[in-house]
Parts: sequence; C-alpha cells; structure tokens
Amino acid sequence: MTDADQPRHHVGRRRLVQGAAGGLAAGAAIGLGAGWGAGSASAAGAPDDHDTVDLSTQHPFYDEARPAGIKTPQQRYAVYMTFDLAQGALRSDLQVLLARWTAAIAQLMKGAPIGQVDSVRPGAIGQDTGEAAGLDAASLTVTVGLGPGLFDERFGLSSKKPALLADLPALPSDNLVAASSGGDLSLQACADDPQVAYHAVRNLARMVRGTATTRWAVLGFGRASAGKGQETPRNLLGFKDGTRNLRSDADYDEFVWVDDASEQAWLRGGTYQVVRKISMNIEVWDADPINDQQSIFGRTKNVGAPLTGHGEFDTPNFHSRNATGKTVIPADSHVALAAHENNGGVKIMRRGYNYTEGINGFGQLDAGLLFIAYMSTPQHFVTLQSKLGASDRLNEYISHIGSGLFAVPPAPKSGHYIGEQLFA
Amino acid sequence: MAGVATLALAACGTNGGGTGSSGTGAGGTGSANAAPVSNGAAQVHITLANSPSGDSCTIDHPQAKAGPVTFTVVNTSATAITELELQSNQRIIGEKENLAPGLGAVKFTTTLGGGSYQIYCPGATKEMQNFTVTGKAATSTGGSASALLASGTAGYATFVDTQLSAMKTATGQLRTAVDSGNVAQAKAKYAAARPYYEKIESDVDGFVLPGHSATDNAGNLDYLIDMRASNLDPKVGWHGFHAVERDLWQSGKITANTKKLAAELDSNVGKLVTLAKTLKYKPEDLANGAAGLLEEVQSNKIKGEEEYYSHLDLMDFNGNLEGAQQAFAYLKPGLTVLDPALTAQISAEFSKVSGQLNTFRSSKDLGGFVPWTPAQRTKSAANLSQTVQGLQDPLSRIAEKVATQG
Repeated sequence: MTDADQPRHHVGRRRLVQGAAGGLAAGAAIGLGAGWGAGSASAAGAPDDHDTVDLSTQHPFYDEARPAGIKTPQQRYAVYMTFDLAQGALRSDLQVLLARWTAAIAQLMKGAPIGQVDSVRPGAIGQDTGEAAGLDAASLTVTVGLGPGLFDERFGLSSKKPALLADLPALPSDNLVAASSGGDLSLQACADDPQVAYHAVRNLARMVRGTATTRWAVLGFGRASAGKGQETPRNLLGFKDGTRNLRSDADYDEFVWVDDASEQAWLRGGTYQVVRKISMNIEVWDADPINDQQSIFGRTKNVGAPLTGHGEFDTPNFHSRNATGKTVIPADSHVALAAHENNGGVKIMRRGYNYTEGINGFGQLDAGLLFIAYMSTPQHFVTLQSKLGASDRLNEYISHIGSGLFAVPPAPKSGHYIGEQLFA
Repeated sequence: MAGVATLALAACGTNGGGTGSSGTGAGGTGSANAAPVSNGAAQVHITLANSPSGDSCTIDHPQAKAGPVTFTVVNTSATAITELELQSNQRIIGEKENLAPGLGAVKFTTTLGGGSYQIYCPGATKEMQNFTVTGKAATSTGGSASALLASGTAGYATFVDTQLSAMKTATGQLRTAVDSGNVAQAKAKYAAARPYYEKIESDVDGFVLPGHSATDNAGNLDYLIDMRASNLDPKVGWHGFHAVERDLWQSGKITANTKKLAAELDSNVGKLVTLAKTLKYKPEDLANGAAGLLEEVQSNKIKGEEEYYSHLDLMDFNGNLEGAQQAFAYLKPGLTVLDPALTAQISAEFSKVSGQLNTFRSSKDLGGFVPWTPAQRTKSAANLSQTVQGLQDPLSRIAEKVATQG
C-alpha cells in the first residue's frame, strides 16, 4: 500500500490552487475562464480533484515500491538537468555524490531546506541557498537517472552496466545538438511551484560542484501529458497530448518497471528514462489551417476526439474510411503512427512538459516539448520514434534537438541511498 | 583521499551501527559518562541525524579515560553535516569527511592525553561540543595556527610589493614603446605589463589615494589603472590600461592622446607602488582576496569583457589564478593546521583549474594563450567556468576558518 499515487499531506495551512483544464496558471485561468468555455472546464464537467493543486502536498520518497516522480501524479512544472562527472572523479566520489543527493532529496521533498539558510557565524556561507524558504513542498519529486557513461572504465562499474543502457541509435529526423544531449547523470525535479523545483536542482547541483559539472537543462511548464485522474493537458501546438497515456497498474507492470531476471539486479524495480528536447516551429504551425492541424494529429483540436469519434476517450478506429476510400484518421497522422495498435502493442509512459527559452536568433519563439518517457526497455521508444521520425506529418513542424537515455534505480530504503547496490 | 578509501571499504561491511549506542546505560566503572573500553580503546559513537529543528551531532559519551579512543561516526540522515573534527585548542587531532547518509559507519582511533577537547560538526545546530579526557595530560605539540597565519600575511605583503615594483618597470616600457609610435611593440609591452596587476587586484580596497573618499573615482587607483569601457564614470573619464588597449587594437593607431594615457598610467602605477607599502593584511583579507580574484575570472574574464579589444583575457585569467594561488600559499601553513582536508581539496582544485587553463597555452600568441575570441568562448567557456566554480566553492570557506583564529 505504499504506492506513490497516494500523496501525504502534512498538517498546517493548505494552499489550494484551482487548476483549469490544460494546465493554465491559476491567475490566468480565473481571468480568462469564460472565454475558454466550450473546450475546457464546462465540456469536461467539474474539474477532477487531481486537478486542484494543493501546495502543501508532500510525496513519500524512501521505502516506496517505485522511484518518485514517475507514477506520481504529474506536477505542473519541471526542471530537468544533466551532469557529467568531473575529470578525475573517483568511484568513491560518485558514491558520496549519490548518497548526498539521496538524503538531500528526501529532505527537499518534505519542503525542508538542506541546511542553514541564515548566518550562524560571521562569514558563514549558507548551506541552503534559501530561495524556497517559506514555500511548501508543492508535491516536489526528484528523480535521479544514471547515464551510460557511468558504466565505462572510470568507476569500475562496467560489469554493472544494464544490458539496454546505451546512447539511443541515430533516429530518422534527428537534429541533435551536443549542448542539449547526453550526460552521466540526470535530475528530473517536478513540483507545482516552479521555484520549488528550481531550488531543488540548484542546491543538488551546488552540493556536487567539483565532482560533477552541469551539462544541459530545460525548464518545463504546463505538463504536457496526464496520468490517472488528471485532465489531459495541451501542448504548445494547442492539442491535447497524452490522452492514451498509461494509467493502469497492469500497464505499468508490463511496460514501465524493469522486472526482468536477465537485467541487472540493482535496476529491478526501476526503469529507463528517455528524454528528448523537441523544438516546435510555432509560427509556422500557427499559420496552418485548423483542419490541416487536425489531420496531422488525427484528433480534433478542441475536444481532442479521434477523427473517427466524438469524445476524447473514444477508441480511434484506424480502419474507418471516408467516401474517397482513405482512412478517416490519416495513416501518417501522429495518433495513427504512435498508437499501440499499430506498433505491436508497444506502449510507453509519457511525462512531458512544455518549455520555452525565449526567442531564437531569428526572432522566432524558441519553445517546444521536453519529452520525458519511462519504459522497461528503451527499444520501445526506438520502435515508435523510428516510425514517427520517418513519416509523421508533424515532422514538418518539430525538430528533435536533444536526447538522453538514463537508467532510474528503484526507490531507496530508509538509511540507504539511490544506486547503493552498484557499489556492493 | 585516504579517508574516502576507508569509507568505501567500511561501506561494504558495517551498516546499521548495531554496537550499543543506546545512550542510557553507559554502565562503565567510575564516571557514568565515560566511554566503555573494548578492543583496548574507549569506544565513542557519534550519530549525525536530521530532525525538524535541524541536523544534530550526538555523542553518546562526552568523556573518556586517557589512552586510545575510537570514534565511530555514522550519518543516518543529516544533509547539512558532511564532516567531523576532533580538535584540541583549535588544532585538528582527527577528522572524517564525506559523511553522507546511507554510507557505512567510519572510525578513527587516536591516543588522547587528559584535557579538554572539542568535537566540531560544521553544519549541526550545535556545532561545537566538549569532549573531556580524564587522566594523565599529554604534552602539548607546537605550531599555533594564528602565528603561522600572521607570518603568512607578512609574506603576502612582500609579494604584493614585489609584483608592483615589477609592474612599474613594465608600464615604463609600455610608455616608451607608445612614445616610439611602434604599435606592435606597444601591444607586446601592454601584454607584458597586465599580469602583474591581475595577480594583486584583489587588494584594490586599499588603492584609494590619501585625501580621497572611497567613492571618488578621481582618487581611486584601481579605477585610474584598470577601468573597462563598460563601467566608466563620466565625471572622471577613461584612463589606464584599457583606454590604451582600445587605441592599440581597435584603431591600431598611436595618437597624442595614447601617449598621454600611457604616461599617466605609468605615473599612477608609481603612486600605487608607494601606497601599497603602507597596506597591512589580515589572514581573511588573503582568503577573501583569493576568492575575489576567482570572482573576477567568472564575471569578467570568462565573458571576454576584460580584454574586449585585444582578447587577452586568458592571460589575465592566468594572472588572477596565480594571484589567488599565491594568497592561498601564504595561508597554507596555518590553514593546514586548522583544516588539512580543506587545504588538500583546494590544492587539488587549483591543479585542476591550472591544468585546464594550460590546454589553452600557445607560445605563438601574445600573452602566451590563445585569443579569447567569441568563437573560442562559445566552445570553451562553460567548461572552464565550471572548473573555476569547483575551486571557488571550497575557497570561499577559508575566510571564515582563518578569521576566527584571532
């Protein structure tokens, strides 16, 4: 019964933020609510309990069946950062890094600082940087990923390398840049308050300076996928994404958690994390007629229904044909290419976020999707993306510019640390 | 590093710390608080833990009989405490680092004479606790940290004077080259004169001419010698190195104004030579100065703002680094007594930074380093900056250590 689905509330003030469908910030939702009537709250009925943000929520960390931040109801904001181990770092440095991160994450997820903020002695340097002082835990979860590079000769861990942990193969339509790809370690911090997530990553990065250097980072907002009981949010293309995301325990067991006796023992109960930074040609997309956008996605924009149905959760019919003999849902639409029905039953767990980095060198909006997915074998992503990258009509409007693959160890037991078994 | 190796070994075996640190029934003969003896040594257990009110450092027995004492330290959940020291009169007798939660218990044994000792847990809500040893007193061992630090500051003052006197010679040569109208030669002399200032520029607080207030740039030798175009005070105008740099690199022409600037620079450096001889330094000035030089690297050199026209920033970076290394070297004998682990860590980080900087050395380029062009910065700045940050963090902890030595 220690499922990460069950949030724990601490007593004390409860700060509630009523969420609007689509993950709008609370203030904007209240101000703009009336104008969004048809497609959002009124169409979907009363907002689900899970779409009400309670900033006092704390999620458990130690002794859980599964690592935090994967099946945990998806928070509104994320900070994702990867790191490289510094030149000359030793096996014991990595061990200390993971142990210190583990204890600090446990404390941060309780909404606590990781040491003194105030000056305790003249000239003292703060142990916690302090920008989350006064803020609640805000459902913070921090998920640690181990990259393929950790298992090279540097740390004597090559015999512990998971069978499937290697950089993803080159995939069609890849346009990767080194400055947003790879890394020896990854941190995914998710919270309902962006400052809480940022504070966590900033302090975790700070405590390992000299041992690990930062490599790339993305700040995510407006969750771009939904879990059980959550309203389906919208991506920056204005479409509901993640309607068919994993929700049942059976799906998680089959497609997410590593449970294979042939896999490394230390990874059992954990999972693989695939991260992709996908930039969107926002301006070009915005000039595309809605009916074309809908045929690119295979869903209606407003309701999110498959083109063969009326409601968002109607099962798409990929065989239904129109009068001209073509399938109603185009075979090269995003939904058709990604559907498990058309991919030998393969499913992945998506946990993405929208991101923006301001304006690019051409004066265009620099934004897109931080795609994060969890799966028991990275091959499932490779299968889907090989297909999508080759023929998805959406490719005209998006570009995969960043990529990473990490192994996420199981949740630590109290008094132990993430990845401890690696050093046994 | 030896401490880490021990810790890694211990992590394989002992975990859970089952050896009776219950705290209540100490049960030994004599003093109820004295640590029980087993394996020929008094056994003291120290537990680091997190609680709602902060991290605690709990010692099960605050007393022991003179003789060998084994300290067993385990961190169950404290995030703010990562090291522990046993001190006597501010001398470190024993210590353990990298005490992260989840790692196994670590031990150190040391033979203690009668007297009072302190257990220091930096980051704990109660950082310093007394530990009393009863029985025969040990003879005191020498080497007071404060005496060592005081002699370090005197040495550092001499270092500053030496640098400035060499700089006076170099700015004199720059002036001569500018007066001759030879741009290439003037550029070479500019590059030769710069590093001296970069090594000692952390001491600029003292560079205010007598009779001027600290906010009056007309009497501030740092402003008059080293001000960049980005931070000019319109009342005082542009003087010093970087005004000369602009003429030599941007227009590539030596004008009457260039000659005036070079002469004025030389004369102001002369004033600085005299002024610097009157300056006195405290240990924390050296520590803060070393950290300040690295801040200079991060805020101006890495971004290429310092040598905007000549792109000699890596040469300046090296000057800052050498200056910081010197200040650290003068503190080192005293600091080693206070905190050998931190001292070793900083030394190692200094080597990393200079090792990385060395990869940019180029004997054919002016100043001995490749030009820090925008393209070069895009490629290398992030890595270099992070290595510097790795040094800056431990370095920033020195000032507090040395300042409290009186």
